[in-house]
Amino acid sequence: MRPNSVLISLMLVLLATWLGLDAVSVAANRIVPGEGVGVGGIAGWPGVLTSLMPMLAVLLLAWRPTGRHLRLALMLVILMLTALPLWLVVAAAATVDPSLPQARMAIGPAVWIAIFVLLLALIELRGRVPLPSWQNGLLYLLPLLSLALSLMLDLEPLALRQEYQVRKSAFLTAIGEHLLLVSAAVGISLSLGVGLAMAMRHWPRAQRFGFTLLNFLQTIPSLALFGLLLAPLAWLSDRYDWLAALGISGIGWAPALLALIAYSLLPMVRNTYVALEEVDPGVIDAARGMGMSRAQIFRQVRLPLGLPVILEGIRITTVQGIGLTAVAALIGAGGLGRFIFQGLGQAAMDLVLLGALPILIMALLADALLAALTEKIRPGGTH
Amino acid sequence: MQTAIRRPVRPTISHWLAPLVWLLLLLGACWGMSWLEPLFRLAEPDSRDIIYDRADFIVLLGRHLQVVGVAALLAIGIGVAAAIAVTRPAGRDFLPMVSQLASMGQTFPPVAVLALAVPVLGFGNLPVIVALLLYGLLPIVRNTLAGLESIDGGVAEAARGMGMTGGQRLWRVELPLAAPIILAGIRTSVTINIATAAIGSTVGASNLGDPIISGIVNGNIAYVLQGALLIGLLALSVDSLFARLQPGSPD
Repeated sequence: MRPNSVLISLMLVLLATWLGLDAVSVAANRIVPGEGVGVGGIAGWPGVLTSLMPMLAVLLLAWRPTGRHLRLALMLVILMLTALPLWLVVAAAATVDPSLPQARMAIGPAVWIAIFVLLLALIELRGRVPLPSWQNGLLYLLPLLSLALSLMLDLEPLALRQEYQVRKSAFLTAIGEHLLLVSAAVGISLSLGVGLAMAMRHWPRAQRFGFTLLNFLQTIPSLALFGLLLAPLAWLSDRYDWLAALGISGIGWAPALLALIAYSLLPMVRNTYVALEEVDPGVIDAARGMGMSRAQIFRQVRLPLGLPVILEGIRITTVQGIGLTAVAALIGAGGLGRFIFQGLGQAAMDLVLLGALPILIMALLADALLAALTEKIRPGGTH
Repeated sequence: MQTAIRRPVRPTISHWLAPLVWLLLLLGACWGMSWLEPLFRLAEPDSRDIIYDRADFIVLLGRHLQVVGVAALLAIGIGVAAAIAVTRPAGRDFLPMVSQLASMGQTFPPVAVLALAVPVLGFGNLPVIVALLLYGLLPIVRNTLAGLESIDGGVAEAARGMGMTGGQRLWRVELPLAAPIILAGIRTSVTINIATAAIGSTVGASNLGDPIISGIVNGNIAYVLQGALLIGLLALSVDSLFARLQPGSPD
């Protein structure tokens, strides 16, 4: 049996970075730059050796990747992911001076890379070890539980957590604003998109022009589009009081929402159009043969068959919208992007993380949920 | 085989007309922005400074292109090479992981990638280039994989039957056949990167995003409009150039 070269290379990278890079960085307060501490500086040689054991074990198991060995390797990878947050608790206790209330610990490159490499190993192993879905869910739950536990227990000095503590309510508001903007944009562009796609089916001449225009909009960089919308909206709200009363102005949510809708339209219209257009003509013929009316065919055949493709459009626009809304913070639309740009302005990297990590997680979650939903409603069940 | 994927030869000028027009507009706007002052005055009647003058627009354009160009060249080199490597017999083991990573990475918002590159690499051009490189890699890897995997097994078989070596099959059969899909990936990657590079001016990289950011900070809409106009024209020039290069694309 050939050794699993993927796992072996991943573990070698993990070993090298774990031993070679800084695990955490510690600073006396928010302003001074942090000082890097390696794995050896946290738990001494016994600690380093203990942390190396599971990595070496996976390395050995990957040398002869039988079914049992891979299953064991999967458990070890989960174990390592579960241990990482607890290990940070240990690191905080060992490196941060408790007499300095401002002292903080930031997560260093070795730990970030470890998380990334372990997730890659998880992807690789999940492809090779067949598991029932409930066990699959349990696998991801364990590291999350351990993270929650360590956050509750004793990760006071973690810089990311400190940044959160200071602006708890602002953080929740920002998440709310972010979600509201994205869902409003997706909702509006969905209804507009379905209407436009139907219109294009009706007037084929409009189709080429419509798609050219939407393509054109998609090409314009987000920052530029936000900027270009600023002037006309400011002018409009100056001119008409009722618009200003609605809260519409050059800065804020109005240009952000308009730009988000403009970007969402292309994927939405394209997918809806394709969904309605590319149903197998044989199926339509059969439906007509059964005596269905045009409206019935549309409601009972075209729409259910096209729904997965439409959902795919919703997935693309949602994920894209979550990222674009971050940029919208620059024109005062709020959302999590505000923390990113505030953090960049103050050179406070933990604040940047406080904005960027939730955005990343939201994008991944939205993608996974909508992909699962698409799979579920696909006619003919799951593939 | 080669002729099948190339466009029939056309009168060259009209073929390249659209990108040429966008490019001329872009350069014209860079050099002649001060002539448009009366127009921008409409947007910002009370301000003293109408035209952004902290740097030449053409210099900003050059820096923008430099950052995007370096990142794109690196991303093309690394991305295509990685995709080729994992589709050869020796690297097949890595294929599932690389293709899953490439499709999962697409969900990462470019701004988040840029923001995460700064803590590691500091301020300036370097984090922007690295973020653009990382983000630009994914569409290229994914499309190169899709292009190479989509080749009909019979074609590869025929090439083998003709006595071609592995390298010859790659250069003469697989890559030419996959070229349109690879090019589409490069187009996506570069388009996204032009937009993301503009946001890079918030992390200390100086480029066409500068006038926009400075305009937002100082409340000068004229600056914002100038930056937005130039970035829009740049994106449209590059995109229409790719549209001409790419056979069988709609416009």
